[in-house]
Amino acid sequence: MFKKFNIWYTSSFIISFIVAIPILTVFTSFFEDTSNYFEILKQTFLAEYIFNSFILLIGVLLLTFIIGTGCAYLVSFYQFPGVNFFKWALILSFAVPPYIYAYSLTAFFENYGTAFTILKHLFGEANYNSSIPKFDGMFGAILSLSFSLFSYVYILTRASFYYQSQSLIDLGKNLGFSKTKSFFSIILPSARPAIVAGLSLVAMETLSDFGAVSFFGINTLTTGIYNAWTGFDDLAFANQLSFYLLIFILAIFILENYSRKKARYHSQTKGGFKQKEKTKLNKSNSFWAFAACFVVLFFSFIFPLSQMLYWTIIFPKNFFDLKIFDLFTNTIYLVLLSSSALIIFSFITNYGNRVSRSKLLNILTTFSISGYAIPGVILAVAFITFIAWFDNTVISFFELKSIKKLFIGSILGLVLVYFIRFYSLACNGIKSGYEKINRSIDESAYLIGYSKLKTFLNIHVSYLRNSILLIGMLISLEVVRELPITLILRPFNFETFATTAYIYASQDLLEAAAVPSLCLIMIASFFILLTSKYILRDNSE
Amino acid sequence: MNNNFFEVKNVSFKAGGQNKVNNVSFSIENEGDIVCLLGPSGIGKTTILRSIAGLEKIETGSIQLKGKTLSSNKTNIEPEDRNISLSFQENCLFPHYTVEKNIYLGAERKNSNKKKKINIKKTIKLLNIGKILDHYPHQISAGEAQRVSLARSLASQPDLLLLDEPLSNVDQSFKEEIQVQLKQILKDLKITTIIVTHDSYEAFYLGNKCGIILNKQLKQFDDPYNVYHFPNSVEVVNFLNRGILIPAKVTGENSLENKDLGTIKGNFIKYYPKGTNVKLLLQPEDLEHDDKSNLKLEVVDRKFRGTNFIYTLKTNSNLLIPVFVHSHHMHQHEVDEKFGIKRPINIDHIVCF
Repeated sequence: MFKKFNIWYTSSFIISFIVAIPILTVFTSFFEDTSNYFEILKQTFLAEYIFNSFILLIGVLLLTFIIGTGCAYLVSFYQFPGVNFFKWALILSFAVPPYIYAYSLTAFFENYGTAFTILKHLFGEANYNSSIPKFDGMFGAILSLSFSLFSYVYILTRASFYYQSQSLIDLGKNLGFSKTKSFFSIILPSARPAIVAGLSLVAMETLSDFGAVSFFGINTLTTGIYNAWTGFDDLAFANQLSFYLLIFILAIFILENYSRKKARYHSQTKGGFKQKEKTKLNKSNSFWAFAACFVVLFFSFIFPLSQMLYWTIIFPKNFFDLKIFDLFTNTIYLVLLSSSALIIFSFITNYGNRVSRSKLLNILTTFSISGYAIPGVILAVAFITFIAWFDNTVISFFELKSIKKLFIGSILGLVLVYFIRFYSLACNGIKSGYEKINRSIDESAYLIGYSKLKTFLNIHVSYLRNSILLIGMLISLEVVRELPITLILRPFNFETFATTAYIYASQDLLEAAAVPSLCLIMIASFFILLTSKYILRDNSE
Repeated sequence: MNNNFFEVKNVSFKAGGQNKVNNVSFSIENEGDIVCLLGPSGIGKTTILRSIAGLEKIETGSIQLKGKTLSSNKTNIEPEDRNISLSFQENCLFPHYTVEKNIYLGAERKNSNKKKKINIKKTIKLLNIGKILDHYPHQISAGEAQRVSLARSLASQPDLLLLDEPLSNVDQSFKEEIQVQLKQILKDLKITTIIVTHDSYEAFYLGNKCGIILNKQLKQFDDPYNVYHFPNSVEVVNFLNRGILIPAKVTGENSLENKDLGTIKGNFIKYYPKGTNVKLLLQPEDLEHDDKSNLKLEVVDRKFRGTNFIYTLKTNSNLLIPVFVHSHHMHQHEVDEKFGIKRPINIDHIVCF
């Protein structure tokens, strides 16, 4: 009955193939000749790029691990005032992209910045600049990325802690372990896959970050890629640099897998889950737990939000000069187009995979979701390269009208690259929803006379509506924050809050960048608040 | 052309690329008949049901329903077009719909060719699921889920209903009641049914015919009475676990001799020449307790089974023989005591191998 070449198989194959094309372009151009730039760079900055990327990565991983698991532990295992508030409030840091955090950090601590103004108001005129610490350069980048990205670790680790059985905790008590020993011997190791998953996402985001590092003027592999393309038009070299990035990421995965050996972190018990009881903290410990969570919330969300709000208030002209409505409609337009395209096509490929059970399609889909690991800069460049090659060869050969204008510098091209970049998010999200639907559910539907289309529409779509909502919101969040792809591929005179903020900041007009940044944070916060229930997974289906 | 309502002809059933059951042939003559397939776990009973439903392909033979070929190496009608309903062993209710919606989804099937329509409300009442209609599948027990699944399958009033261990999660106290009612519904609505079970009592009660699947083969397909009393192979005897095989020698047209039990009389179901050494099937009800008898065997075990005891007796040749004794029997024997067996031993029908 599962004829391989049915409509579901064919459409899934086409979608996955289209997504895979730019990724393949990245891979193939790796073997192409590079310009002289490579030789120049090899002798000058390449070592610095790699060193900086490595330091940045280590710093961010360490900090996100401490902040993410620390907060997750506190809100999962202890009862203290405000714990339910912090549980979801801590994910608000997602709303602040690293580059906006970087603007806030600089604006607050720079000479005559916000910190200076506050001190002046409090203690009168004086030269405070020398005593105000400067968070710029590498340290600033590490802080910006860490406070913006720790939520990945926090969310996944908290979910893992949440589902940790009380039996496991009781076991520690039974063995006479202290709380510290229980934490390091039982709780933390059993959450290891979740922590690693969170850190892997942080690693990918860190290595592909463009906005924050370029703002702080740090030369990393990503900025190197951007320079190789913009300065020397050398895609092959840009791709070779991106390969170093991928090697970094791959090395982390291999290291983790190797160190894990054959250990398993879950037991397949039926009905053995026992909900944890939170430990009620005494007054002083409650204060410290509250203070720790508040400090993280303050630095990750309240601080950048207040900084942007403060500038918006003291420089109202910027607010009125900005075409907020246009930027808002542009941003929402991209959000709606991308999220609907991603959800619809990801649904089709997942269902196609499910009904056709084809290994080839499965491999192609797995390959096509690797777009998330490739930095947005590279994807955008690879896309332009592919379209240019296709136009110069295939289209010219058939003497058809050039397609460059259709795809480059157009909404279609922009949405298509968003599609490739965030395809894994949508595809995996729907896949994990699908994994909860036993195959016998489909079979039951067929056996009560439902066709495949009717099963898809009446059973799957309606069952996965919450997953769809969640994925839609997560994609929206990513699109709102996305910078490099939008910067490279946007149509002329088409700006979003992200690009406007970046352009002002790159011209050293941080006050002007505050309004679009604030709007971006607010829109992103809105999406987070809508999805927090599902992100935190306490009431998952 | 055959007139069977349903027919499986020389089919080898496969699942996950592995041959599960080979060269199976059986048929259901009349609409409304019930067939039970018995066999140990993992033998391929579910694969047979899935293949009949169209969820697995077959490479050899054919499956026909009402004279129409559903599956063969050339034909394969989609499951949704077969009007066959399968009630799975595990919970396969639509998780986002209430129990009531799940059941009524079954009734959406377009099969108005049935003369008698099922009364869904009555079915709900019969299966005792009226109180959980507004619940979601995750809020009900495994036994309830199984009954809801059964109700959904019945509501679709299929031409052929396939039930995979339909009552395996139902409480024992409620099981017999449902068996009675289920049989009644199936008969009333003339729904032809194939039931897979490992419970021989369930199969013998519900089925017009029973099939025994062992060692990748359909070993016997017959009336329940015949399967029980006239098993056609040693494997079937061992599977049903209803007796033991003891060595004996045919001494006449109606008699055999065992060196521990002496003469055994009865009617052979198959002819054996005098002097043939055979293995005689001795079932627990074949022997009668008699304390006055001079044939005394040692009690090695006694199991209380409510209405009766099952004694395990040891013969001089160390054979272990099971014997039923009514539990009201006054003469209860302890382990190591002697237990008398009435002589001569008379068995209604003698089954030998």
